[in-house]
Amino acid sequence: MSRDLDRRLLALAEAVEVVEGRLEPDVVEPARRVVARAGARLGLGVEWTVVALAGPTGAGKSSLFNALSGGDTAAVGRRRPTTSEVHAATWGEASGPLLDWLEVKRRHHVDGDELHGLVLLDLPDFDSVETAHRLEVDRIVELADLLVWVVEPQKYADAALHDGYLRRLSTHGDAMALVLNQADLLSAGGAAGVRGDAARLLEEDGLHDPTVLVVSARTGAGLTELRALVAGRVAARDAATRRLWADAEAAARRLRRWCGDFRPAGVEEAERRQLVAALSEAAGVPRVVEAVGAAHRHRGALATGWPVVRWIRRMRPDPLRRLRLGRSAGDAERFGRTSLPPATDVQRAQIATAVRALADGASAGLPTPWPRLVRASVADEERILDRLDHAVGNARVEPSAPRWWRAASLVQRLLVLAAAVGALWIGLAGVAGSLRIEDVVPLPELAGAPIPTWLVLGGLALGLLLAFLARLVDNAGARRRQRGAERALRPGIEAVADELVVRPVERELAAHETLQRSLAVVAGRTSL
Amino acid sequence: MRPELADALSRLRDDLAGVRLGLELPGAARARAARDDVVGQIGDYLLPRLRQMDAPVLIVVGGSTGAGKSTIVNSLVGADVSAAGVLRPTTRGPALVCNPDDRRWFEDDRVLSRLPRRTGGSPAPGTLLLVPAPEVPSGLALLDSPDIDSVLATNRALATQLLAAADAWLFVTTAARYADAVPWEFLATARERGTALALVLNRVPDDAEREVTAHLQEMMRAERIDALLLVVAETQLADGRLPSSNLAPVRRWLDALAADAQARADLIRRTLTGALRSLPGRAGAVEGAAAEQLAAAADLRSEADLAYASARQEIEDALRSGSLLRGEVVARWHEVVGTGDFMRELQSRLASLRDRLAAAFTGRELPAEQLREAVEHRLEAVVRAAAERAAERTSLAWSERPAGRAFVESAPGLSRASDELRTETREQVRAWQGYVMDLVRKEGAARRTTARLASLGVNGAGFTVMLAVFASTGGLTGLEAVVAGGTSAVGTKLLEALLGDQAVRTLAARAREDLVERVDRILRDEAECFAGLLDDSVPDAQSIASLHAAIDAVRRAS
Repeated sequence: MSRDLDRRLLALAEAVEVVEGRLEPDVVEPARRVVARAGARLGLGVEWTVVALAGPTGAGKSSLFNALSGGDTAAVGRRRPTTSEVHAATWGEASGPLLDWLEVKRRHHVDGDELHGLVLLDLPDFDSVETAHRLEVDRIVELADLLVWVVEPQKYADAALHDGYLRRLSTHGDAMALVLNQADLLSAGGAAGVRGDAARLLEEDGLHDPTVLVVSARTGAGLTELRALVAGRVAARDAATRRLWADAEAAARRLRRWCGDFRPAGVEEAERRQLVAALSEAAGVPRVVEAVGAAHRHRGALATGWPVVRWIRRMRPDPLRRLRLGRSAGDAERFGRTSLPPATDVQRAQIATAVRALADGASAGLPTPWPRLVRASVADEERILDRLDHAVGNARVEPSAPRWWRAASLVQRLLVLAAAVGALWIGLAGVAGSLRIEDVVPLPELAGAPIPTWLVLGGLALGLLLAFLARLVDNAGARRRQRGAERALRPGIEAVADELVVRPVERELAAHETLQRSLAVVAGRTSL
Repeated sequence: MRPELADALSRLRDDLAGVRLGLELPGAARARAARDDVVGQIGDYLLPRLRQMDAPVLIVVGGSTGAGKSTIVNSLVGADVSAAGVLRPTTRGPALVCNPDDRRWFEDDRVLSRLPRRTGGSPAPGTLLLVPAPEVPSGLALLDSPDIDSVLATNRALATQLLAAADAWLFVTTAARYADAVPWEFLATARERGTALALVLNRVPDDAEREVTAHLQEMMRAERIDALLLVVAETQLADGRLPSSNLAPVRRWLDALAADAQARADLIRRTLTGALRSLPGRAGAVEGAAAEQLAAAADLRSEADLAYASARQEIEDALRSGSLLRGEVVARWHEVVGTGDFMRELQSRLASLRDRLAAAFTGRELPAEQLREAVEHRLEAVVRAAAERAAERTSLAWSERPAGRAFVESAPGLSRASDELRTETREQVRAWQGYVMDLVRKEGAARRTTARLASLGVNGAGFTVMLAVFASTGGLTGLEAVVAGGTSAVGTKLLEALLGDQAVRTLAARAREDLVERVDRILRDEAECFAGLLDDSVPDAQSIASLHAAIDAVRRAS
């Protein structure tokens, strides 16, 4: 029993830890007080049984107290309200710490072995014009192990009792009993009727199979049964654990309202994919990918283009360099941000919408305030944007230069050289011709045309052809490298999505699940 | 009977009944109860009493459960009007006992019109049992009311209603009860309303009479309760009735009242005057609560207004900063307009031909369509995010206020933008694009545009105007954005020239106005989700002013 209680209290403490800072303080505080109170009460020893006599003014609490403790220590009177201070009678050796914890100053020691371990408390009323009395009762009602509600035939149906206390304590049937005092004012049949009616009202309050005793402090009728009830609890030495058990269960029931029974499915892969897509878009991945392709084509043109005009291209900046991207990993750290244009409102809006969609989807079906908590757990757009920029800056997107570029470059140069040689040759031949010096510059013919002509026309034509073919190949290569860059950028974006969005959301969902699980343990619905 | 007083009272009743107190402010429940209380008292008591001052005195026997109200009534009448017993609460319906001659006063719905009359049988909830009894002296009527403090909340409400309708209270308590908190709250009410009051201390044990009576008198003095104290000793009931010797003090009081018409009139006048005097204060408290609700609603409304105003600002900033131009928008614009350097032009011509073919065969979209969508997506994203943020911000601000928390908790969807936002935004953006195209077409037909703009065709000119909307007020920043968009130098030159074009600027200003107006409309609809909640549950300033005037009228007339 006690070990089971320990387990439940641990689970409740875990639940309190989860709801701390997540739910409103007025929800968290009562549960935390239960945990703290249980610790304190268990530390003071379960061998003591604290029984409190509570009831409306004039019900005869003090008379019963005197009857049970065999003295006249509690003042009994006609003037209402009579008792204004809690009064304790203890059976057995001194129980100072327990009474200190109960903050009871008026103490009285009773000899007698029969009720050894009993601490009997006489409480003030809770329904008189003295509001201070009600506060004192409220305090002790939280602490006592067994609450004996003393009522009389006039007052057993009062709203102050049922609405004020019993309905709220409907989980504590095990730690409560109702005593109908002043039965001497009723006929025997009347007493039985009132007893049944009182039991009916208790059932309506939510107490199942309530204990109802009919006594008369004046005539002594029924006192034996009351004494036996108390003695039974004292002997069993489990009243304290039963009470705490009920406390824990009630606290769990109140908390359950804030977590519900629904178990969310978590972040779905499709939602995550959508988020990654939105983040990629916002991070400028399409622009980087475009730039990678453009850079490859640009560099390819520089390497393999027609040398005659390729110097023009040299004046254009490298598309990838312009974004301060590429080169090697770690550049972004050296340069701070990339030169991707700073994030726009559109990007921020896209990120916000994507993040919200994921959070709302993941928390759909959860009671308030969980959807809000899930949404709040996600990092803000600025941070996401910053991290995305780093991720893009650190990715290896530099397109590799194919080896054939060098060969093609060499061939282009040779072709230009050939054309130049041919031109020079023709030029020399022309100069020689104009000087009427024949045959100094030979013009051997090949296939009906002079070789230098072949050299010039062939060099130029082949150069153009090569440039054209290289461009076709480079276009294909650029597309391949774009896909490669996309693949290289993806893990970084995914890491940002996971770290700043998906995982925080999953953490909140896990907290919710922990709360659900620990509350189920407290309620005894599952074992750990 | 002053007719102007009756008119003022009816008006006050109607005005009060129409005051909405729907916000869950602290004290709102009390204010609602006070409102119903005053409305009930005017209808159940003040108006009928003013109309017929000579009707019998209605004495309501009220008090705690188990105090012996029914026993006292039964014993006084000498008949079992209402069952007395040990099970609590015993009485669940009211019973009115009067002399058979006085019956006519109570048969119609002059008093307590909301309770249908019944004769014969036993009292039942929701009805008023009429019992003619010759033992009751003419000119008096006794009403046995349910208790004020048992678990049955309906009993409590009914007792409160009946006590408000009384000419005098015969308030019953006991030696065990007299210090209970609940009865003293009722006695304080009687004091505030100036209700004539006689207090019966029932079930007093012989040995306690002196002590308890002294203490009760002391408490009455401390609480300033001015009432006759009638003590009835605890005794064995004979056949369910109190012996007449025990009941003598009560009977003496009733007989004296029955014999003295002047005393009856004084008693009626006293309660009537007290009730009339208490009315402005009680109605004023309701008015105060209504004003508080109005102020709280204004506070909530201003939170919503603030959030949506900043959403509007956010959207305007986005429009102004040129951020909508980044990325593909400008690139698509170039495709549509097809301008740039020679190669680019050639390329775009070819591309356009290719696109047309591709569109014809595969159904892929043309650049103009793509540009339209790009603009639409961007605008939609900005509007949506701003609206979402505003909804979240408002619901958070509301949940921090007691008046707003109830709304937020009962409607969890409140923290998100409405479901219609998406389609609504899309439609508005499309309509705006249509508006811009129309504008360009009309201006073009009227030859008010420049040749440069006209050369772009309707589509090209329309999109140029849209671009100008996003870049115009930004001036340099807008252009920077365009440059950052990665267009070629020549393209940029053209765009710069176009954006500097006076015709483009004029058109852009009008297009911009239209867009802002549409955004405003969307945000207003969104804010209405919050404002609508308030409208249904908060009093309007006019009804409060009317209530105030009605209270003044009653004060003047009485």
